[in-house]
Amino acid sequence: MSSAQPDNPEHAAELLAKIAAEQSRAAFSELFRYFAPRLQAYATRQFGNEQTAMDLVQETMTNVWHKAHLFKPDRGSAATWIFTIARNIRFDLLRKNKHRQNDLSADDLWPVLAETNDSLDDDYALDNDLLMQQLAVYCEQLPKAQRTVIELIYIEGKSQQEVADALEIPLGTVKSRTRLALQKLKELIQHDD
Amino acid sequence: MIKFHPSEQHLVLYAAGELSPAMLMMVGTHVDMCPKCQAHVQDIEQHMAAKLFGESETANIVHGFDEQAMLQAIFDSQQPAVNNTAAANDSLFLEGHRFALPPTLARNSHRIGEWSRLPGKLWRAPVRVGGEEMLNFIYMDKHASLPEHTHKGNEVTIVVNGVFNDENNEYRDGDFMLLDEQHKHSPATQDHDCLTIAALEGPLYFTTGLSRLLNPFSSLFFK
Ligand SMILES: [Zn+2]
Repeated sequence: MSSAQPDNPEHAAELLAKIAAEQSRAAFSELFRYFAPRLQAYATRQFGNEQTAMDLVQETMTNVWHKAHLFKPDRGSAATWIFTIARNIRFDLLRKNKHRQNDLSADDLWPVLAETNDSLDDDYALDNDLLMQQLAVYCEQLPKAQRTVIELIYIEGKSQQEVADALEIPLGTVKSRTRLALQKLKELIQHDD
Repeated sequence: MIKFHPSEQHLVLYAAGELSPAMLMMVGTHVDMCPKCQAHVQDIEQHMAAKLFGESETANIVHGFDEQAMLQAIFDSQQPAVNNTAAANDSLFLEGHRFALPPTLARNSHRIGEWSRLPGKLWRAPVRVGGEEMLNFIYMDKHASLPEHTHKGNEVTIVVNGVFNDENNEYRDGDFMLLDEQHKHSPATQDHDCLTIAALEGPLYFTTGLSRLLNPFSSLFFK
């Protein structure tokens, strides 16, 4: 029995990884016993309605159970991820009764639980195992044009549009160079392992 | 580089989901385009999570619900339906130009209405997001100028692509500018065209909600 609690971020991340990999009920129960009562206490005060509060807790934790594979440890802590799920569920619960056409849903704003992210985000997102430090080393091996694009995006934090403007090349070219470069980097890293 | 950013209060209310639909879209669009504000929002979410799940909340826990029953219900539950949001369309075509849409706008491209032509080399299309506040794309061709206009409340504009000027500044991709009622300005383009998105800022909600976890708003909270 380890002494770590779910309030330890590393431990919480490990629990999520176990849930994702092997649907571990023990790991989920441990997370649940820590997060669910806190969420319930907060939601009860917030909504002033116990049933709505319980719906928020149950929907949030149900998503944690089924969608643990969507947790990205490099993007923030487990607590923050669970918070963003609760924030989204709350947003939709508050709008549910209004039945208005055109209303935004939480997924339209914050794609926390999107399975496949078709958006431009994907072009920006690096795989977890592609670490920045490694990147710098491997970047040396990229063709110059690809290296420039990668450095501007991942080191200087420019958007693809900004890179296109800065280099005076079409956005589509920036995108294809980014894709090719990331593909090449993956190959280089896998080859090295 | 982006020079004009939303206030920290905007970012907090965005992270909590407590702005009007139009303003959530506006702040979301800027956050997509601005690595600095993106990091700031992640920080805010982390702070809110820490407050929500932190020590002070522990005192409020009343074991008023059957944890075991809920656990069992969760284990018995079906995999939630995959969010099949309409395929994001990350490009917008207008007057023979192709514009890349930031992710927030791309995810909501199905909400963009018909373009209509306005006098003075201007085009406009509504974005239907519900709520009282209007959200509109405004496209200014080269050498266009927006007639001086008045409005109730604050007007927020973001440059999606291009550049325009007013008397005081030049605004480029990602710039988020907020103009109050007193502000008189006449935006104009020169040798570049410019795609912007604009909204009138609705009333803010302070009295309830997640954002209260971080009241009072103060940059001392975030470094
Ligand atoms: Zn910013």
